[in-house]
Amino acid sequence: MLETQQGTALIVAAGARRMADGMPAPHDECFGEGGRPRPQWAGMIDAVERLGTARLNARWDEGLRMIREHGVTYNVYGDPQGRDRPWSLDPVPLILSAPEWRDLEAGLIQRSRLLDLVLRDLYLGTQRLIVDGFIPPELVYSNPGFLRPCRGLPVVGQVMLHLYGADLIRSASGEWMIFADRTQSTSGAGYAHENRKVVSRVLPDEIREVSVRSLSPFFRSLRSILESLAPGRRENPVMVLLTPGPLNATYFEHAYLARHLGIPLVEGADLMVRDLRVCLKTLEGLQPVDVILRRVDDGFCDPLELRAESVLGVPGLVQVARAGHVTIANALGSGLLESPAFLAFLPALCRHLLDEDLLLPSVPTWWCGEAEGLRYVTGQLERLVIKPAFGLRRGRSWFGHQLAAADKARLLELIASRPQDFVAQECVLPSSAPVWTPRGFERRSVLLRAYVATDGSEHAVLPGGLTRVAASVEDPLVSMQGGAGSKDTWVLCSGEDDGEESLSAIPAHASTDRRLTGLPSRAADSLFWLGRYTERLEQRLRVLRCVLGQLASDTSPATSGRDDRLSHLLAGIGLLPVLAEAAAKEPSTLTGDPSATNSDNGPADLTRKVLEWIYRFDGPGSIPDLMGRIRQNAAAVRDRFSGDTWQILDRLVPQPDVPTTRRSIAHALGLVQGLILNLAAFNGLAMENMTRGPGWRFLDVGRRLERGFSMTTLMTAAAFVPGSPTPLLEVILDIADSGMTHRQRYFASARWPDVIEVLVRDESNPRALAFQLSAFRNHLDALQGEFRVGVDNRWSALIEGIQGRLLSAEFAREVSECEGFDLHTLIALMETCAQGLSGLSDDLTHRYFSHTYFRVS
Amino acid sequence: MQHLVYDIVHVTEYDYQGAVSVSHHLLRLEPRRTPRQQCRHHEFQIFPKPSVVTSHGDYFGNRAHFIAVEYPHGSLSITSKARVAVSPAFLPDTSETPAWETVRSRCRVDRTWAALEANEYTHPSPLVHTSPEFADYALESFTRARPIFEALSDLMTRLQSDFRFDPTATTVSTPLADFHKNRRGVCQDFAHFLIACLRSIGLPARYVSGYLETDPPPGLLKLRGVDASHAWVSLFCPGIGWIDADPTNNCYASLRHISIGWGRDYGDISPVRGVLIGGTQQILRVSVDVSALSPDAGAEDAPTIQAGAAVSTASPSR
Repeated sequence: MLETQQGTALIVAAGARRMADGMPAPHDECFGEGGRPRPQWAGMIDAVERLGTARLNARWDEGLRMIREHGVTYNVYGDPQGRDRPWSLDPVPLILSAPEWRDLEAGLIQRSRLLDLVLRDLYLGTQRLIVDGFIPPELVYSNPGFLRPCRGLPVVGQVMLHLYGADLIRSASGEWMIFADRTQSTSGAGYAHENRKVVSRVLPDEIREVSVRSLSPFFRSLRSILESLAPGRRENPVMVLLTPGPLNATYFEHAYLARHLGIPLVEGADLMVRDLRVCLKTLEGLQPVDVILRRVDDGFCDPLELRAESVLGVPGLVQVARAGHVTIANALGSGLLESPAFLAFLPALCRHLLDEDLLLPSVPTWWCGEAEGLRYVTGQLERLVIKPAFGLRRGRSWFGHQLAAADKARLLELIASRPQDFVAQECVLPSSAPVWTPRGFERRSVLLRAYVATDGSEHAVLPGGLTRVAASVEDPLVSMQGGAGSKDTWVLCSGEDDGEESLSAIPAHASTDRRLTGLPSRAADSLFWLGRYTERLEQRLRVLRCVLGQLASDTSPATSGRDDRLSHLLAGIGLLPVLAEAAAKEPSTLTGDPSATNSDNGPADLTRKVLEWIYRFDGPGSIPDLMGRIRQNAAAVRDRFSGDTWQILDRLVPQPDVPTTRRSIAHALGLVQGLILNLAAFNGLAMENMTRGPGWRFLDVGRRLERGFSMTTLMTAAAFVPGSPTPLLEVILDIADSGMTHRQRYFASARWPDVIEVLVRDESNPRALAFQLSAFRNHLDALQGEFRVGVDNRWSALIEGIQGRLLSAEFAREVSECEGFDLHTLIALMETCAQGLSGLSDDLTHRYFSHTYFRVS
Repeated sequence: MQHLVYDIVHVTEYDYQGAVSVSHHLLRLEPRRTPRQQCRHHEFQIFPKPSVVTSHGDYFGNRAHFIAVEYPHGSLSITSKARVAVSPAFLPDTSETPAWETVRSRCRVDRTWAALEANEYTHPSPLVHTSPEFADYALESFTRARPIFEALSDLMTRLQSDFRFDPTATTVSTPLADFHKNRRGVCQDFAHFLIACLRSIGLPARYVSGYLETDPPPGLLKLRGVDASHAWVSLFCPGIGWIDADPTNNCYASLRHISIGWGRDYGDISPVRGVLIGGTQQILRVSVDVSALSPDAGAEDAPTIQAGAAVSTASPSR
């Protein structure tokens, strides 16, 4: 299950295969009686045969490439390697016929209406269902999902369950059953949409031939439903998608849905309550929000009134809801019905509330809190799976048939001590479907999650859903956390349905709502640091490339004077102590370098340190560390980058361990060069693809600040290196990628005055200090002028002051009278500049990006 | 017996380290109306002046005030002033009350509003869990078919000799298990422990937050727990209703107990709960003063703001 943590997974299905003795064979989705294909699969089977294994494989490689390049991921908890695991998808969809779907659809709508009525009675009504005996009081009152502060909170349109998810399983008899209701922040619809996108690229003709129903209308309905839920039925409401953040299992989907629905993706820290409105913190100020589509569990939404330890929520949010100033979908408290114990009472509730029988049955469920349920469970433990009645996501489960006699007795004792804490469900053998693997087709268990959206009057059902597939043939467990895969789900058109429209025809909403022009402060924060870290990484890599180049070109002892100067320079820019630390960690492991055991001062020693640094060092400021920071900041603004940009960012990952035998200067140079080019591609895409809004401005402000910093450091370090300056200055020009500029202009070997002109004073050289300062000032002017972002006038004044001195005739004269030029003037000016930039960075952070809160109890 | 009238002044003050840019607080300080108690006047004095003040009845029927200070502030002071008239509590003859098992089963099966309300208080809550150990402790007093309040009196007497009142032993966040083990604590611990015992044997018990008269009437002893807000327990019995019992002082609530409100445990009725944005640390000071007036004191000599809507207008800081 998408939201489930490891262990609980899909309980109904688990173990079912091993208890197959005397049980009917699982339902086969694809083949019916006598091994004949079911009619809805005929087209697909033809297509697969037509394509043949080789072509299907080739096509599927394309699909896998799309998944990688779209950056579709699923985070696995508790596994550092498992973060951002690529999404697992199978090219062959699950196919459902039109009549079959019609029945399912009716059942899903009925269930969504029923659950909403139950929620409204318990939270908004008089709890008649308890008084009249349809729901035992314990089921509500001892349920941690019953959020007392949420009772009586007003809801727009008298609906609490706006987006409902049903977990479906098909039993051996071919009947669909619901084994879990998802009532609070159902995930998966976005993955289902992405699956369709990939599969329709891989099987473009097939999907048209068999005429599959389109998913897009559902997402359009979802958006208009959300719009209609604004308090006071406000037109063009401001809507946001609230995510727990990049560490959440389904964060990819949050970003995907936000982009697709055209609403901003925000974290709790982006919102704050002011004047009984919940507002988005933007650089322009606070913007009131009308509708929140939440992916944060309800208990975590407000540390003031709900779980006090939550850092994901918005303090005061419940009070805003109480005042009727925001709609939260699903309504706070709706998670109550995720307790599986409710399943036992739905048939009677359905007859009572809707005067209908349940169209879609649940997997038979017994609540041990009732004497009758407890009796049954005690007698039939072998055929049941026992789960916690509350807090489904945290507890463990037991399969009756897998337990030894002693364990069985212990479990029964545990149940008897707190019967209301347990439910039992019948073990149901899930149906199986063909799954494409490198070894050919395999039959594996499948489950379906379906979705219903409603505004209280109209219901929209996603024609399809997220089909999940067991990780292997033997494994009947289907758990995304446990490594399960997924499938696209095709619902075939009947006469009156619209066919699959071209996916490119989906109106791509602008990246954010038109009414909401503000850049969330947290996004600005992340972009600013993304700018700084990408630039810092690039600088590091450039320095390393230069050093490696020097080391590669000559290692003879005669040139060790230059190595001394290199070491001086590296020490000056703060790299050498780091190098020393890196080398100290692993004294002499570079077996590829025979001179590694040499004394501490020769070129071999420098080589060793540099290689250690590249291959091994992962402390603060190392390449893997910077890459981690880049990914972390990029992930927080995932919805702001194009797929292309993500592909580039995905390549910025630490290199897996390179065997020591392959480590060499040449290999390291290749590595560094590759990374530099990737960074260049990222910068190019950011330059070419990002709109020039405040977001881009902050990204570039970060970059300019960092580049300005590193130039002051580099110049200061160089000024302190003793001896003949020329070879060193050439290195510096190389690091700053300005050797060409210099040569074209001066046709001579490098001299200080020329280098200062090129790297410090030249406002047209994108690497020069003066360029950074003027770009920075342009950004400040634009933020204030175009985007109404408050800017401190002292900042511009500060930069102007530094610019004035850099560009002054006096400084120019001193520089041109070069031979007598006193480098201390340069050093002092660089110092002033560095201090100014550092102050600016602190001011920016303080002014735009502070979000922490502190709890009082 | 005649009723008594009290003036209560409850001051809560926070000093912050580093300016707090926004603070939100939920206050449960306005004494609620009960069959034996009437709040004649209530007002808040809050400094600096809150940007937002609003109040609502909470899930348990208590009055809660939401206040937000939406500009930088270095301290917050909340003064709650109340005038409350208290009538004598009805106390049944304990030996005439129903057998405790009857109460337990009726709270399980009855579907009257009163029994359903009571059912809510038979379950574990965030700060009060139930366990066989608590049940065992209770069952020594709750012997077979014993009248429920006779058993309760016995249980409180045992608590009194087994546990020590010790204001230094626990804090607001000390878990119940620690109190059980160390056998020392304050009124909140006594109340939580008694509730845990009662719920562990299936009886409905709730947590009451309130005050005790500060200065004892002549000839009476000063009670424990007078320096801050006090807490005790209420036990339900069908046909009789909720009876307030004070395990810290081994007595039933009397004219000297003034309730603010109740919930399942302290978490539902904590007087001040808040979240600060900005700021790092805080120093807290609380003082409570409860003084008895002549029984006829009305609202007329109190400030003119109406109870409930009462928030006085202290001038803002800065």
